[in-house]
Amino acid sequence: MTRGRGAWLALALAVCGVRPATAQGYLLRVDSRMQAASYRGVTLDSVPVTDTITGPSGGPTTSDGYAVTCFPGSAYCNFFRPGPEIAATPATVGADLTVWGLGVPGLSIHAKGRAGTTFGDPWPGTDPALQLVEGYAQYAAPRFTVQAGRLAISSRLGFIGFDGGQATIRAVDRHLEIRGYGGWGLWRGSVLPVTSAELNPLGEFRPPERTVVGGGGVAWTSPRFDAAVLYHREVDPSVSYFASEQAALTAVVRIASGLSLTGGADYDLALGAWGNADATLAYTAPNGRLNTTATVRRYKPIFDLWTIWGAFSPVPYTAVGGSLSVTPIRPLVVRVTGESYTFAATETSTPLVDVENSGWRFSWDATYTPVASFAVDAGYHADFGPGASSRGFDGGVTYMAGERLSISAHGSTLDRPLELRFDDASVQTYGLSARYLPAPRIRLELDASQYVEDRQRPDAASFDWDQLRVSARVVFTLASKPELRGLPPAVRAMPVGPGGTP
Amino acid sequence: MTALWILLLVAQAPQSPQFDHSKHQRVFPRCATCHQEPATGEGALYPDPAACARCHNGTVRPQVAWKPPAGPHPTNVRFVHAMIPMMIPPDPTAPQNCTVCHGQESGQWMAVQRVNMQMCLACHGVSTEHTAAPDSMCTFCHVTLPEAKDLTRADIAGFPTPASHRDPAWTTKSGHARAATTGGAPVAASCATCHARDFCLTCHVDAPDRKPIQALAPDPRSTAIMVRLKAPASHRTTTFLSTHGATARHAPASCTSCHTQESCVTCHVGTSQVAAAIPRRQPGSGMGAVVVRRPPASHGPDFALGHGDVAAAKPATCAGCHVRADCLNCHRPDAGSGPHYHPVDFLARHPAAAYGRETSCSDCHNTAGFCAQCHKTAGLVSSGPMHSNFHDANRSFSAGHGQAARQSLETCIACHAERDCMTCHSAQGGRHFNPHGPGFDAERLKKKNPQMCTACHGTAIPQ
Repeated sequence: MTRGRGAWLALALAVCGVRPATAQGYLLRVDSRMQAASYRGVTLDSVPVTDTITGPSGGPTTSDGYAVTCFPGSAYCNFFRPGPEIAATPATVGADLTVWGLGVPGLSIHAKGRAGTTFGDPWPGTDPALQLVEGYAQYAAPRFTVQAGRLAISSRLGFIGFDGGQATIRAVDRHLEIRGYGGWGLWRGSVLPVTSAELNPLGEFRPPERTVVGGGGVAWTSPRFDAAVLYHREVDPSVSYFASEQAALTAVVRIASGLSLTGGADYDLALGAWGNADATLAYTAPNGRLNTTATVRRYKPIFDLWTIWGAFSPVPYTAVGGSLSVTPIRPLVVRVTGESYTFAATETSTPLVDVENSGWRFSWDATYTPVASFAVDAGYHADFGPGASSRGFDGGVTYMAGERLSISAHGSTLDRPLELRFDDASVQTYGLSARYLPAPRIRLELDASQYVEDRQRPDAASFDWDQLRVSARVVFTLASKPELRGLPPAVRAMPVGPGGTP
Repeated sequence: MTALWILLLVAQAPQSPQFDHSKHQRVFPRCATCHQEPATGEGALYPDPAACARCHNGTVRPQVAWKPPAGPHPTNVRFVHAMIPMMIPPDPTAPQNCTVCHGQESGQWMAVQRVNMQMCLACHGVSTEHTAAPDSMCTFCHVTLPEAKDLTRADIAGFPTPASHRDPAWTTKSGHARAATTGGAPVAASCATCHARDFCLTCHVDAPDRKPIQALAPDPRSTAIMVRLKAPASHRTTTFLSTHGATARHAPASCTSCHTQESCVTCHVGTSQVAAAIPRRQPGSGMGAVVVRRPPASHGPDFALGHGDVAAAKPATCAGCHVRADCLNCHRPDAGSGPHYHPVDFLARHPAAAYGRETSCSDCHNTAGFCAQCHKTAGLVSSGPMHSNFHDANRSFSAGHGQAARQSLETCIACHAERDCMTCHSAQGGRHFNPHGPGFDAERLKKKNPQMCTACHGTAIPQ
């Protein structure tokens, strides 16, 4: 941790002391965040069977009231005590740098990195202390772009990170974009390879070498229709077997002005099964005061083949839902969303256990802005389904003193019953947040929220737990040509034309 | 596209002579009694107020406080009364000579008016309306606006609006742009009569490159004629955001009258090729259109949850306004972040969202590095024998967890490792429970990665 803290401080000092480089152009965005938070879990404990007593409900408990589980043949019974309060203050400094004008037109360098550490108890995501999210050189020409370095690709198949190269060819006349890439992979959802110890807290089976990734796609666009076909594969080089192999199709049809149909599906070539699929019909009224969608989707998780999870046959669910955003009167915007989903048959026989196989979620919220400097938000959400549920209200009041300062007071309630464990938690939060722009390219954010949590159980493991969470954020941008990030202040100060100038 | 909607809001300033000529028609038989200049080209145009006091002395008639206007009458007309002898037959003392220009149609003596420009045109053989006169006639009678130094902003604002300027096509290339270059001169005289360069800068961001504009002399007073830049009708369609790129790419000149590169980069951050064809703001350029970055109509309230298809189908569309860092803000969560993508109390409510998979958690979070690591710290992982029965809402859950596991396997592995399941589900030990369910394709899996099979089956993979 000491080494990590030192690295974090080193990067912070380097960022503070940054000076314009000799390159013709650069843009550096630094995002520093710190959060003081705590959480409290459970601690597994045991007690000799002979020390248990019969509790009020007739079941065995410890002498101090914890419900225990005693298995036949075992001399001990297990139970969970409330865990220790874990207080941590994770802090990160992220830097996003772009440098161009390197003597070759079209050549640029892009890098996004992060240094993080935790003051106090451990906090997930802060190891290793230095993480390179992206770092690549790019050569862009009108017809093609090539990149080399650490890359992250966003597609229907998720965020795919790798160390390697990518080439994109644009056949503008044919409205085609063709992309291919390859390299050594990073594990899904992280910037670390699968061999990283930080990604194996439970000591599971992992490939001994980094996977080799490859893939590509073809996208075709037109004024009315866009479509793309994607392919991605990862191979475990230690055994030359697939870690994953997927393909996807995605499309957007602009049926009429304001009306579009968006959809896609992915197929797991490794497992020979369809994965996620969705179709959304969206309509936006010309005046922008009505926005509505209707969606049908299917969700099924994807697991790498070096795990055994795919062999456990996870089943998909199919959901039907929709959303509506309407502005009945000019200062009021109301949004409503809802979705109902049902899991496919699991083909299991569990006579002793009956669990939910469907769920629904619903939310509404409204924003009322009587004057430009004042906004009131209120909303309700409910999510009931297998495993866990939640419902609650939230709301806030925001005062905006011009574009530079906004102050909000917010609060929420939450009831969170679990299906598989006696733990009906309720949480109330209330707090203040502020956002301040002392200069055009500096943004400060601060939030302080009090959490009042009550974990209800029919035994001694029930407890109250309150905490104050504080987070702070500083974002600033340095650039050789700052005007490229927006209009000059004098222009921005000009009033917007009636009807909104384009 | 040079389509500009320019509205010239002009109102004719009322002319209200302080001296009521008609009331004095019986007193003054000759104009020259009071106005000497028209007759001789010398002397004062207006009488001495003392001459009024001869009658308006408080005894004969009430006193008056009339004073002659100070200085010359502000005008942009070349005419001076000394030209009259060259225009009208001699006999400057004849009263009817003044009424030729200043008399009203009634013909009543001393019913006067300011000169009717139409009379000037008629004498000079021009049959059109004043503001529609040929370009060559403008300089015959008028000086340019910068030369008319005595005109105030109010005077200029009161200029009559030519009928041609009210034509919707006036703002297009075939309108005022063509008119400005008519006649072979760097800029049409008709423009220079009422306008100066500063007026053009109200809209034209390409002013330094427009020869007609540069041919006009600068004059800040010219902005007294108010124009308001309005978006062309094409810009108001719901498809404009998605189609304007093609216009900008194929005909950038159509954008550059109102827009500079700054307009592009207000929203665009990744299409430098197109933006590079648009000139940047430069000294002497006008303000042009003010661009406000607005989300497209497609970015509705739940767009963040379902934007993946759009992003994949047309990646260049996203890259027009978003940089990669925008994606990484959510898709690579920051450990130090407070409320951002998720609501403020999401840590407390995340079990429901994780079980129900409202979104794919693993698109942003690595299940091992993020979920399991945190759950391990909180004591929520299975680190020992499987009979601790954390799921105590049903005492038989361990024996009947199959349905829950197949429905929410991603949630299970946030706490459980593979060895937990293999305690019972391995073919080599435990209870030999078969975990394979619907859709399991053993042959395909064995072909793609038999190593997964060996985890449970060892080398004895069933054929």
